[in-house]
Amino acid sequence: MTSELNCNDCADWLHPYLDNELETEMAARVSMHIAKCADCKKRFAELQALRDGIRQHASYYSAPELLQQRIMSKLKQQKPAPQQWLVPAFSAAALAASVMLYLAVPSSQDLLMDEVVSSHVRSLMEQHLTDVASSDKHTVKPWFTGKIDFAPPVYDFAEQGYPLIGGRLDYIRHQNVAALSYHRNKHIINLFVIPNNAADSSIHSSSRRGFNIVSWQKNNMTFEAVSDLNKQELEAFAQMLISQH
Amino acid sequence: MKARNEDTKRFELLIMPHLNAAHNLARWLLRDAAVTQDVVQESSLRAFAAIGQFVGDNARAWFLTIVSNQCYTWLKQPGRHYVDIDDEAVMHEQDRLALSHAETPEKLAAKMQDAAAMHHALEALPVAFREVIILKELEELSYKEIAAVMGVPIGTVMSRLARGREMLKKELLKNDQ
Repeated sequence: MTSELNCNDCADWLHPYLDNELETEMAARVSMHIAKCADCKKRFAELQALRDGIRQHASYYSAPELLQQRIMSKLKQQKPAPQQWLVPAFSAAALAASVMLYLAVPSSQDLLMDEVVSSHVRSLMEQHLTDVASSDKHTVKPWFTGKIDFAPPVYDFAEQGYPLIGGRLDYIRHQNVAALSYHRNKHIINLFVIPNNAADSSIHSSSRRGFNIVSWQKNNMTFEAVSDLNKQELEAFAQMLISQH
Repeated sequence: MKARNEDTKRFELLIMPHLNAAHNLARWLLRDAAVTQDVVQESSLRAFAAIGQFVGDNARAWFLTIVSNQCYTWLKQPGRHYVDIDDEAVMHEQDRLALSHAETPEKLAAKMQDAAAMHHALEALPVAFREVIILKELEELSYKEIAAVMGVPIGTVMSRLARGREMLKKELLKNDQ
């Protein structure tokens, strides 16, 4: 049931449309209107130009090098005194109450999926699949020690047709995580291991931008296997791993 | 002492990667290099003191929330003439039309590509509008994250961005030397 937008309404939605914050149906209505209406099209082009102008020309003030050192040395002199009032208001409930009807607000699960898929794609594009290239779990596993503060399970499944390629450090949801890469025929599987306190859960499959993702939770770690491999074989891979650790 | 080492480690891992973002935000809000360093340092110490209670998965937004609060605390000191903005005052329809049918699209296009003009126009915006634009365009935060950082509903983020951008266009056309 998509009704025609008028120019006045369209003007209100142009900003969230520009910012990719509209849910699919509303975004489609805006884009349909822009395609037909020269005025709104011009208005939108102007907003895009403004955004590009800001991004290209507004100064980005990086922190001076000494500031981090200054902060870290101050920390060491500080007395630990965690107090309630120091915590900023950051309540999920307050946020949820304010959610607007047409804004597509991604859940943290969505954001996680987006990030693992982006990271998977990046690892293939930049040819930076591994920091430590080895099919030997006794080489890969110790490599992570000291780089991350948890121990991801590392297994090679060459005999089952899923050889281990190696491991690398990655950065997902604002933290360092382990990424392990496996081959399956001509496909690459990236397995992200993210420390997390959630309860164990069985596997769950989803897909995003044409990639399959199999997720599960075990031993205080979230596992995300991402690949262009078909769902069945990716799930089989997940099951093998789960039965090992 | 062990808990403290643990805190230091978490702080370095979670918070320090966002020091540039914190500094950039504070510098745009405060418009003074020396004050910015002091406020960022103070914000970092507060983040450290509270890190044991941080349980979310978005350390950047959490840290920027502290930084934003600290900046406003500084701006609202007596004698600093801080003016709060009025979100209820919706942009006049007249303004919007006047702008979108501006007779100077070429001039505006040129100003958008003029780094000095862009800088002055951004600095001239009221602080809350400047903040929403910096968080959106330079830090590329989502509306949800911006709402958390600024402590306002998502709808307010949306209207402030719309208004801020229109104001920015006006500023760009204004400082014409």
